[in-house]
Amino acid sequence: MTIAEGAPATSVADVRLSTFERLPWRRIILVLLAIVIVAVTTIGIYKTLTSPEAANYSGEFWAQLTVDGLSYGAILSMVALGYSMVYGILRMINFAHGEVFMAGGFASFFFANAYAKSGFLNSNTVVAVLIVMTVSVLVSVGVALLLERVCYRPLRNAPRLVPLITAIGASLFIQNSFRGFFGPQSYGYPRPSSLNGQVPILGVHVNKIDIAVLVVAVVCMLVLQMFVSRTKTGRSMRAVAEDREIASLMGIDVDRTIAITFAVGGVLAGIAGVLFGMTFQQIQFTSGFTLGIAAFTAAVLGGIGSIGGATLGGFLIGVLRAVGPVLILTGFGIPSVHSLNEAFVFLVLVLVLVFRPGGLLGTGEAEKV
Amino acid sequence: MRVLEVVNVRKSFGGLAALGGLDLHVDEGEILSVIGPNGAGKSTVFNLITGIYEPDDGDIRYFGESIVGLRPNQIVKLGIARTFQNVRLFPNMTVLENAKVGQHCRSKGGVFGSILRSGSVRAEEERIRERAKEALAFFGSRLAGYRLEQPSFSLSYANRRRLEMARALATTPRLLLLDEPTAGMNPRETLELRDRIVQMRDRLGVTVIVIEHDMRVVKGVSDRVVACDYGRKIADGTYDEVAAHERVIEAYLGRRHEDTA
Amino acid sequence: MDVRRLVRVGAICGAVTVYFALVGLTDRFAKLALVGSSVTMGRLVLVIAPLIAGYAVGRPRTRSGTTVSLPIRDAVVHGLVAGAIAGAVFALFVIFVDAFGVERVRGVFINVSPAMMEYVTFGQTAVVAALILTAASAVAGGLGGGYPVLPVTLRKPTGSAVLAVFALGFLQRIVPIALDQLNVERDWLYSRRLGGLTWAGAVVVAAIAASLSILKQRKGDRIRELVRAPSVEGSTRPSGTQIVVALVLLGLVLVTPLLVGSVISNVLGFVLIFALLGLGLNIVVGYAGLLDLGYVFFFAVGAYSLALLTGASLNTFTGSGPPAVSADLNFWVAVPIVMLIAAGAGVLIGAPVLRLRGDYLALVTLGLGEMVTVLLRSPWLEPLVGGPSGMRGVTDAAIGGFGFQDPVHFYYLGIAFVAFAAFISWRLASSRIGRAWTAMREDEQIADAMGVSTTRYKLLAFAMGGAIGSLGGALFAVKIGSLTPASFELLVSIQVLGIVILGGIGSIPGVIVGSLVLVGLPGLLREFEEYRLLAYGAAIVAVMLLRPQGLVPNVRRSRELHEEDEAQDKWAGDVPRDEHVAAGISPEGTGAG
Repeated sequence: MTIAEGAPATSVADVRLSTFERLPWRRIILVLLAIVIVAVTTIGIYKTLTSPEAANYSGEFWAQLTVDGLSYGAILSMVALGYSMVYGILRMINFAHGEVFMAGGFASFFFANAYAKSGFLNSNTVVAVLIVMTVSVLVSVGVALLLERVCYRPLRNAPRLVPLITAIGASLFIQNSFRGFFGPQSYGYPRPSSLNGQVPILGVHVNKIDIAVLVVAVVCMLVLQMFVSRTKTGRSMRAVAEDREIASLMGIDVDRTIAITFAVGGVLAGIAGVLFGMTFQQIQFTSGFTLGIAAFTAAVLGGIGSIGGATLGGFLIGVLRAVGPVLILTGFGIPSVHSLNEAFVFLVLVLVLVFRPGGLLGTGEAEKV
Repeated sequence: MRVLEVVNVRKSFGGLAALGGLDLHVDEGEILSVIGPNGAGKSTVFNLITGIYEPDDGDIRYFGESIVGLRPNQIVKLGIARTFQNVRLFPNMTVLENAKVGQHCRSKGGVFGSILRSGSVRAEEERIRERAKEALAFFGSRLAGYRLEQPSFSLSYANRRRLEMARALATTPRLLLLDEPTAGMNPRETLELRDRIVQMRDRLGVTVIVIEHDMRVVKGVSDRVVACDYGRKIADGTYDEVAAHERVIEAYLGRRHEDTA
Repeated sequence: MDVRRLVRVGAICGAVTVYFALVGLTDRFAKLALVGSSVTMGRLVLVIAPLIAGYAVGRPRTRSGTTVSLPIRDAVVHGLVAGAIAGAVFALFVIFVDAFGVERVRGVFINVSPAMMEYVTFGQTAVVAALILTAASAVAGGLGGGYPVLPVTLRKPTGSAVLAVFALGFLQRIVPIALDQLNVERDWLYSRRLGGLTWAGAVVVAAIAASLSILKQRKGDRIRELVRAPSVEGSTRPSGTQIVVALVLLGLVLVTPLLVGSVISNVLGFVLIFALLGLGLNIVVGYAGLLDLGYVFFFAVGAYSLALLTGASLNTFTGSGPPAVSADLNFWVAVPIVMLIAAGAGVLIGAPVLRLRGDYLALVTLGLGEMVTVLLRSPWLEPLVGGPSGMRGVTDAAIGGFGFQDPVHFYYLGIAFVAFAAFISWRLASSRIGRAWTAMREDEQIADAMGVSTTRYKLLAFAMGGAIGSLGGALFAVKIGSLTPASFELLVSIQVLGIVILGGIGSIPGVIVGSLVLVGLPGLLREFEEYRLLAYGAAIVAVMLLRPQGLVPNVRRSRELHEEDEAQDKWAGDVPRDEHVAAGISPEGTGAG
């Protein structure tokens, strides 16, 4: 074999030159992008705060907006935890987790509605809400376990993209099944009358429902934290997340642990479903999809696989979503900024994944395969 | 001519220091063996040379020029090819296709040429095919004939190792890095491969660096041997010199109890 | 007899039948007659799950390398029991609804209507209906159980016959029309009054299908050799027979619109547009292995660029007006420019994003895809693309005076473009570039280490896939004549993905078949239209679980996805590959070395 035609390059410069387009360019684009983003954000904020409309935006307005954001963020956190936990244990994104959330919320609607009609909801609020939440949790957990059994377990050793694609299909399927069952319209979710109205806190009028959501969410997350760190099952979950094979060699039932992880995510999603319904007072078959993307963004932003990350990410996204478009974009004279909430979240998702795929509490580098 | 020079290279992963200031060099036409206990950082050196990682400190020079910071596919273009400790072939591609991938860096068929299948692209494909077969033919009849069309996952273990080497040879390298090429082979295959490595240098003019554990192979192929331990070079010389070196023996066998007193 | 397994399978299938009823399938398909007046699609929906239950428990299973096959009587009995259980579950559902009150249940599950209940109870009381249902399901289960253990010489003809009757009954909107166009007498085959096959027709179809099947068994291997397509990378000269077959197929394709009339040709036009999109995505997902969930982006770029370049105008409140940037080029001049724009856009977007790992890439592209509609609707881009009202007046792709607005003419335009795209895909796949993509897909890190610049080839895939997708957009613009953001929802990306997956990842004919099924069928069958997305979701899941290489597999991909299973097969003997995955039996660790 001769080294004649097609011989190795003679110097580094040759190799570099023929590929010069690549190495510096990506970094250049990223840096430019970062500069643009920072510039737009600062200019936007400045213009918004100094614009004539700013008079309408009192301190109370921003505070309310923030609390709204925190409340939505709490709901997001609970769903994000499901994404994070499943990712931690399977290294796969459960694309269909948004539908787990929706399923519970939707199923619970019928009970909530019946109780509202009969007055039970207002007369025995605590009991009624507990029953409604139980229904929601049961359905969510059911869907989650079904997903695990049908879509994830048989594909545990498949090439990485296969379960993701399957989950996309499952998400589509579940969504449209619910559409088939219950119709495409949006249903009005009832809210107990005791949670209507506002309460003054530190001189700011805050919605009662927001407070309720925050309290419930924080309690749930504390319980989860204790569950994962103190109980035997929680330990098993952490072990399987670290190293599946070794965990099974240590006597942990891996299948069961994974199923439990899905179930726990389902519990949180189910509770979140009720909270969502009561906050926004509507539910329909698409409710899971948009919120699911936002929750996933939150999980990634915080650092996927990490419980603290999901929580932090959830609250952050919630606030960003509520405050961001108004704060940054009004300054540019863009009308009806509120419809851009979801787009804003998507933008954040794209930016996080481009700049820091490992998330805030992560390492700063996406794992290379 | 000094083909490769690794100068005081350091690399840590997290808190673990894999290489703590390693030097080595190889001249044209030499076969250099790198030996040392597991975890001594030998594969890491290969990874640094081929651009998979960047060294934290130190330099790597190829024909005098620094190649630190180049990407793996650029380094192959320069003429440095390698094999892997845990054979990494393209499992579902055929034997011939695997070898053809080696020729990728020596060809340049573009999009339009490929779509139109112009004369020059067709000629280039022919050339790629011929070169790939030549590289495979280096191993005799084992990777020839009907085997060419078989998916590589179906080959025997030894043939997979050979295929990986053939693929590396197909890149028409000047410097070849072999990472434990005889691991897992039986004695007969091992000795055959030992001779082949020498043939690579004699017939093809390739400079070779081999990481090896099997001392029969090391003895049979090496012009020079470098021994490493804990990420540093501890000996450099001919096989006999290194084999007798006190620190080398200590690295492999440990110190005798009385000596530690 | 493993009773637990029978109960489990039966219960699951029973639940599936309940699902069908709740989601409305039973209801919608009630009127679609397949054969005569009694074999309706709705009835089929009722018994299909028990049939599958029977099949699942009756068929041969492979355990630890040995194939266990039941004697036919046992298989049938197993099937009967499983089917009966499935039927019983559904029967319980019926009784429950009846007892609870249809209207009350309807308050929750909207499809549980009096009409539906009437249909599933066959007009009888709930208890009688329950018995009928259980019995019918048992029979279906028995048939399903017996089928797989029939000797091959009986099984294949029976299967072919049933499949053929079902297919022709199902396609009752197409085949009779084609026959009419050909002036072939068809009342003996299809009943004008009921829509489906006549009994006589069904018998004839069954007989023909069975005979063909027997013929194939006798002469199968020879036929296969003659027709087998050349391998992906090979440049072997096709044999004489292959050329003839290809020409016949080509002829059929060209003559189709004349056979099926303009309504169906219209649907086929959309099939072709989506096939074009599918071919583009196939390059990105199938060849380069990049999961792009935002592919609608290229569709939109293609459509809107073409509109702008050929002088379309914006829809505004006051009527219409010119866009901020526009040209008035001929369609054929504009198309290459559109492709360049799309390729460029692909490179711009791809550059920061393509180094991400698979799932993350999927989600970023998902985010980008979602932003497409937002941007199209936004006030910023309104001067360019017309905001929510969109654009109108896209000029036709006329050559000389020959226009393509007519569905039949458009069909030929579509075929030309699809052929073009298929040609490009094929040439790319079997070239050095295709080889680089395959290497990248199999082991990205090693491909890089072997000289394949992964960044460059990923960008290339994105650019080429985008360019071809933009062709689909351009054709779409021409066909519809006006554009609104509503046509460019994120869902389109997922539909195209479904097409590629169902057809077979990396397979060109697969994409076409996928488009035919997922775009053609809902277009042709009104009943299906409503369940389109449900079908997409189910198809994706089913394909991934049961036959990941798709309907018309690409040989190499087939290998990638079934490597382990094949190794098992060699060991276990003559059990069809798919059974393993369908049985949920995972390879027991003894992979291929």
